[in-house]
Amino acid sequence: MSKYLPKQSELVKEFEEKPSVLKGDYEGREWWEMPFEFREGNFCFPAKPEVIKDLGFPNPRKWQPTDDDWKLPDGWQKILKDAMKERLKKYRSLKLYLDSCVRCGACADKCHFFLGTGDPKNMPVLRAELVRSVYRNDFPMVEKILKGFAGARKLDEKVLREWYMYFYQCTECRRCSVFCPMGIDTAEITIMVREILQLVGLNNNWILAPVSNCNRTGNHLGIEPHTFVQNIESLVDDIEDVTGVKVNPTFNRKGAEILFITPSGDVFGDPGVYTMMGYLLLFHHIGLDYTISTYASEGGNFGFFTSNDMMKKLNAKMYHEAKRLGVKWILGGECGHMWRVVHQYMDTMNGPADFLEEPVSPVTGTKFTNARATKMVHIAEFTADLIKNGKLRLDPKRNDHLRTTFHDSCNVARGMGMFEEPRYILNKVCNSFHEMPENTIREQTFCCGSGSGINAEEYMEMRMKGGFPRANAVRHVREKHKVDSLVTICAIDRASLPPLMRYWNPGVSVYGLHELVGNALVMDGEKKRTEDLREDPMAGFEDGEEDED
Amino acid sequence: MSTTWERVIAERRHDILRRWQEKGLGLFAEKMSPATPMGEAMADAMEMILDGFATGDDLPREGISRLARILAVQSFRPSRSLSVFTALRDVLLASAPDRDAAEVCRKRIEAMTFEAFDSFMEHREKIYQLKVEESRDRMYMQLRRSVS
Ligand code: SF4
Ligand code: SF4
Repeated sequence: MSKYLPKQSELVKEFEEKPSVLKGDYEGREWWEMPFEFREGNFCFPAKPEVIKDLGFPNPRKWQPTDDDWKLPDGWQKILKDAMKERLKKYRSLKLYLDSCVRCGACADKCHFFLGTGDPKNMPVLRAELVRSVYRNDFPMVEKILKGFAGARKLDEKVLREWYMYFYQCTECRRCSVFCPMGIDTAEITIMVREILQLVGLNNNWILAPVSNCNRTGNHLGIEPHTFVQNIESLVDDIEDVTGVKVNPTFNRKGAEILFITPSGDVFGDPGVYTMMGYLLLFHHIGLDYTISTYASEGGNFGFFTSNDMMKKLNAKMYHEAKRLGVKWILGGECGHMWRVVHQYMDTMNGPADFLEEPVSPVTGTKFTNARATKMVHIAEFTADLIKNGKLRLDPKRNDHLRTTFHDSCNVARGMGMFEEPRYILNKVCNSFHEMPENTIREQTFCCGSGSGINAEEYMEMRMKGGFPRANAVRHVREKHKVDSLVTICAIDRASLPPLMRYWNPGVSVYGLHELVGNALVMDGEKKRTEDLREDPMAGFEDGEEDED
Repeated sequence: MSTTWERVIAERRHDILRRWQEKGLGLFAEKMSPATPMGEAMADAMEMILDGFATGDDLPREGISRLARILAVQSFRPSRSLSVFTALRDVLLASAPDRDAAEVCRKRIEAMTFEAFDSFMEHREKIYQLKVEESRDRMYMQLRRSVS
């Protein structure tokens, strides 16, 4: 049981002393009567009709949440109710989460969106209540069982609009579940609601366009294989410019020992590409026999934010490609939701991958028994093991121009329980590392505010609010320890934390962990290093005057 | 700044701050709790502004900027955001010892409101700038290829 659960006495005190929508302190109003309004910055654009058509999803049309007429299909209520019934039958967890909330309020102030907006419907308990209130109306037996909990309402268009607004103001981060004495995971409710909203054409272009691209060409941007290869080759040239070392990645090579898969943000975006350069240097340093696929060219899986079926389909290419290339196992790059999909679903969804072997590090001989089922190892575990066994030549002074802190990505921290490996690596590759306050890291980490596919530009204001608790914790270490570098192991974080920092903490830059590994690696045949992988000067290495150990 | 206000605020700082912060947190749809990170950040900024009001002739720009940064991303309208300064004026005027002090207060709050308006707009512009920068970062390699 989570050590963060409040004690009963604390809950009673909290319930008695704090004002709460659950106690009806809102002067004769029901909580659902509190107004909400779609305004610029608080919704993501719906998917374009051509994207919906590409995917064969229902109700392609042009519309905006600010429109009076959402052009819903006839019988939309029945479509949603049937879909809900089907899922309640299929997923016992969902039924349990809807039935077992005791309204203790322990989750109320744990959601970053509530903390950033002050909007009570962003309290996890009320977010779930948006659905429960309909569920109670349609399943009268449930109300009898849950007697004492008032509030049943019909599924009308206002409720639907509310669902659309508030289930895209949940990043499925699961922070609330850490504090729930009943173990309720509101993220699962969000996942279900978003899935059924697709059935009446209520969706998000920032999620579905990458899904459609992945479906067609294998990666979020829809980049063709030859461009994918050219991008990485261009990074190889950059590495040579900075280090003097020519690394030699291979593509679609049959018979390689390991298939390496990473989010495409590492191949296309700034600052992700510097993390990619770090991987390439690392693999060269240890002489790894690996290959990169231009088909499984995306570790991310926005199908996860769409529907179970779509998640499964997009994930399948990882095993397909591993089988086609005849590799022994898969190594995965830094990503958040990719790991939630791999860790929690891949084996049962698209496995068992009996054609692969239990992963063993070819350098240290370490067996990754935790990856026995999926046959896929997280790069942080892989690198931590290399360091632990003394297989890397590292000079942490090469990162002395950075004063770092570490952001735990929700999916890797809460979804996989991985807390120590990235910290272990970080402490070996740099000399200045400071933790943010305890209630903002590890399993209590705050979301970047942009996870689960709401990283859209048009949603910037909401993202700034949702990301505020994280930014505030960074501000704390910036003021106390002069931290200027936020290190993370998630591609969405690498994309979404830079604007968050530029807004709330100007002067703080965002780095991938393996970018810092790449900076610190002492490569055979390298030239005198004066710049890091971003071509920023390294402190103490000016004029190439590196002080050797 | 007149020593009168320095004295008044030194004497009644706690009460003035409490009343003003109450109004500031009340800007939100349902009152923002002072114990939240957002509530604390607002309270800190308001404290900086009040101390600046009390002690110097220079505008408390850092406090104003911090408050405007918070308000510029909220879903309520700009006029509602800036009403936080009228709220401060009302709280302070209730403690004004004489007409001269009241006049000083009005002028000072007016200058702070203009400064806050500029800062609010700068932060709104920042949001648009972030959108552009983010799109550029996302397409970094494509853009690089297109110019090389
Ligand atoms: S899963 Fe995260 S975003 Fe969703 S309600 Fe819980 S804390 Fe909020
Ligand atoms: S979801 Fe859990 S923590 Fe939240 S009110 Fe219900 S029982 Fe309590």
